[in-house]
Amino acid sequence: MDRIHILLSRFAVLFRSKKLDADLDEELRAHIDLAIEENRRRGMNEAQARAAALRAFGGITQIRESYRVQRGLPWIEEAARDIRYAIRQLRKSPGFALTAILTLALGIGAATSVFSVVNAVLLRPFAFRDPDRLVVMRETVEDKARSERTAIPDNYRHFLRLKKDAATLEGAAIFFQRGMSVSPSGDHPHIVGAVTASLNLFHVLGVQPILGRDFAEGDAKKGADDVVMLSYEGWQSFFDGDAGVIGKTLRIGGQPTTVIGVLPPGVRFPQIVLAPKIAFQEFARDAMLFEPLAPSERDLNADMGNFNYKAIARLKPGVTLAQANAELEALQNAYTLSAHLPFRFGIALTPLAKDVASGVSGALWMLFAAVSAVLLIACVNLANLQLARAVNAERETAVRAALGASRGQLVRSRLTESLVLAFAGGAAGTALAFGGVRLLIALAPANIPRLDEVHVSTVVLLFAAGLSIAAAIAFGMLPALRSLRVAPQAALQAKSTRTANTQESHRTRSMMVAAQVACTVVLLIVTSLALRSFSRLLRQDRGFDVSHVTLAQVDLFSPQYGDSSNTYKTAKLSFTDRALAALGQLPGVQSVALTSVAPLTGETWVDNISRPDHPVPAGQKPRVNVRWINPDYLPTMRSPLVAGRNITDADRANPYVALISERTAREGFPGENPIGRKITDLVPDDKHPITVIGIVADARINGLKDNAAMVYLPYWAYTPWTLSFLVRSSQSSDTLIPEMRRAIWQIDPQVAIPTLKSMDEQVSDSVATDRFQAMLLSGFGAAALFLALLGVYGVLAYSVSLRRQEFGIRIALGSGKSALIGLVLRQAAYPVLLGTVVGLAMALIALRWVRSLLYQTPVMDPLAVGGSVLLLLVAATMAAIVPARRAASTDPMRALRME
Amino acid sequence: MTESKSDVLQGTLDLMVLKTLESMGPLHGYGIARRIEQVSANTLSLNQGTIYPALLRLEQRRWVKSEWGISETGRRAKFYSLTRSGRKQIEQEIEDWERIAATMARFLAPSN
Repeated sequence: MDRIHILLSRFAVLFRSKKLDADLDEELRAHIDLAIEENRRRGMNEAQARAAALRAFGGITQIRESYRVQRGLPWIEEAARDIRYAIRQLRKSPGFALTAILTLALGIGAATSVFSVVNAVLLRPFAFRDPDRLVVMRETVEDKARSERTAIPDNYRHFLRLKKDAATLEGAAIFFQRGMSVSPSGDHPHIVGAVTASLNLFHVLGVQPILGRDFAEGDAKKGADDVVMLSYEGWQSFFDGDAGVIGKTLRIGGQPTTVIGVLPPGVRFPQIVLAPKIAFQEFARDAMLFEPLAPSERDLNADMGNFNYKAIARLKPGVTLAQANAELEALQNAYTLSAHLPFRFGIALTPLAKDVASGVSGALWMLFAAVSAVLLIACVNLANLQLARAVNAERETAVRAALGASRGQLVRSRLTESLVLAFAGGAAGTALAFGGVRLLIALAPANIPRLDEVHVSTVVLLFAAGLSIAAAIAFGMLPALRSLRVAPQAALQAKSTRTANTQESHRTRSMMVAAQVACTVVLLIVTSLALRSFSRLLRQDRGFDVSHVTLAQVDLFSPQYGDSSNTYKTAKLSFTDRALAALGQLPGVQSVALTSVAPLTGETWVDNISRPDHPVPAGQKPRVNVRWINPDYLPTMRSPLVAGRNITDADRANPYVALISERTAREGFPGENPIGRKITDLVPDDKHPITVIGIVADARINGLKDNAAMVYLPYWAYTPWTLSFLVRSSQSSDTLIPEMRRAIWQIDPQVAIPTLKSMDEQVSDSVATDRFQAMLLSGFGAAALFLALLGVYGVLAYSVSLRRQEFGIRIALGSGKSALIGLVLRQAAYPVLLGTVVGLAMALIALRWVRSLLYQTPVMDPLAVGGSVLLLLVAATMAAIVPARRAASTDPMRALRME
Repeated sequence: MTESKSDVLQGTLDLMVLKTLESMGPLHGYGIARRIEQVSANTLSLNQGTIYPALLRLEQRRWVKSEWGISETGRRAKFYSLTRSGRKQIEQEIEDWERIAATMARFLAPSN
């Protein structure tokens, strides 16, 4: 209690010390007056009375001072004094202060920017109730080729069974995500993210609409009105946040749909991939529309096929992921056996947050580690500079110690200087982070989930503040502690330049340089590996050539193409024919290709091929990506045919022909000639056998990292709802794009064109994550190298400046220039070489973790490792040569006169 | 904080001030100082000013409170008085002091 009272009253004093000082003076004056009065009564005259009163009182100044000490918080006052002193000291060496603040600002700014991305993408929980208990549920099958289990999307029937039987789940919802066209004001539609989900989705997520109602029984019945719930963002963008939106209609895919509810702000449903290998390059946007899922007959009855869904489940409180996984796996296995399914299905649960971030978490953590390393190197640099300053200030420290400053005071005043620097650097760094975050968002690939949630939040600001303090301690502690060891007498007796150059402080600084060099070596190796990996990705043979090709993706979502219309097949076919013809008429166009899936958007439309002449158990059928194309596809993509013939217009009458890729030929027809063989089950709802007529060279058509197993079929056999037109033209994409848009909308203004860009851009976007990684790492690597060089240079230059006399004497005694240069270089070589060796050892450990982020690049890539070390050594030599030459050019006369 | 090795001395002065306020009632600083001098029959060479930090210390512990008033000679002055917890504290302080005094007495007694 007492202590609290005292502390409170002392704190209160900080804010009204003027008034209290006046009070005290008044009180003391009253005391003296009263004393004088009494003395006068005793018969003294005025002067005697006053003198006696003052004598009896004692020293007024001392009393006032000790009263103030008792009243106030001496440590705050002392801290203020330390800060003032530190600022004064720093203003005396503005070069140092500016360098330090700038280095720190850049380091803290970069680290804070990267952290704000890490925080939003990886750390911030979703705005659902107890998001920790939400898991993504996928089925698994054995992959014979890799002898491991592969995650696949969910089958509706399997899901229903699991949901009914599972005791570890509180609830589970099934859904799929896609782009849907919306035309709020009746003009050309655009594509937004849509979730079609079982009615309990929001119940499972624990989200209540802020307007209207949740899905209810009957919403998904056949013949019920089409209803939709909107995300907050959707409500804002389609209805400008109109409070009377409930009951209004929105045209979705051309169909009028009634809005029944609006979700709270901040609730964002993330993009969840169907299966880990399927990328959503074009589609990484948050869902705005939520529609009820009405399962089809086939969904309800098929145990095989129709693996088209994703599921999200909520674990019961206290149930661990492993327990739930084990229970579901057992249920699934039992069902597989009792229903005599040809596969042994299993279950894979992943925590929601981990699943959403799975594609990018490794890369992001690596970037964060890299930027932290840069900050660390910067701190070591500052520690070195501070140490040099502390050594320079040794005389002053000694004087202060001799005058009675306590050890605590000495350490504190040095540390305060670091804190002042860190505060300034941290503030500037935070300001930089606001720009840095914007830059990162601009550079970041679109497939980073939750990117729109990235901003400088309170957490991020706290992080920056913590980082600044940590940095101050990191670079300020060593020099501060050093001032403890100053022996006042020795320091005062010796010349300051002599005490400074003690063996010990030199060793400390060399060790710090070695540590910097080690960190830099690791960072340089990681950077060069990332660059090698990225350049390999871009320069390897892709099996296709798309320069001068422009891509237009068209989605047929208006009612006449929907399967509720009787003529939808002909409608789709005729649109496609007309679009191909119209695009071919554009000036400069050489050829127009059609494919059902835009190139480089990952594995999609994955199916198994069945061979009537060679039946294999269902689990061993080769998996392929099915694409629907036109005859000009191969020439436009410059994909060579290696055997057989291409599809021709003559096949239109009998469109059951297929081209397969080399990999499909290897996996589906090992040791056989596939030409002329029959395959089945690829055309939806059509059992007609398909003849293989040609083999296409392998191409990295789904993603630059893999050759995909492909089957190409003519669009006459089946016309998909998503069409990708590839136009090869002598014209640039920039001129072609508006003309393509006009041509397509001339045929039907109600189709959506979600993508319209050059294929070069598409290629570049498909490796955006790798580029992002390579680019940021290069920046951090360059920064680290620069800082390390600064470190080498700084330490050496300082030590040379202290040894001027020695060099002067050496020269006077006949030492040659080259001998002196060698002397200084040897001094630099020791920490640099030590650091390099340590760095290589550290790299061995770090690289094991980096390996998974590299594409076909061995971590011990000799060029990357050797090049990094060489670069560092050359740069370090260059940094060392400047002070070395200065040492060699010492004028002996001047140096000796300094004594 | 500044409670260092001079604690015993401070405690002594504190107890004198508390005791004075107990027997005399509300009093200004000068009055307290004079009273202590009189009671100690001027054997204590007390700088009168030192009672002000002591009074502040007691006030911070909420054992005394102060308010401005008018002295018997019509001068504006700050008057100090005991609080309830200050009154209670006196007993505790006396006990402490007696214990120390007794200990000291044992040390100082002629060895027999």
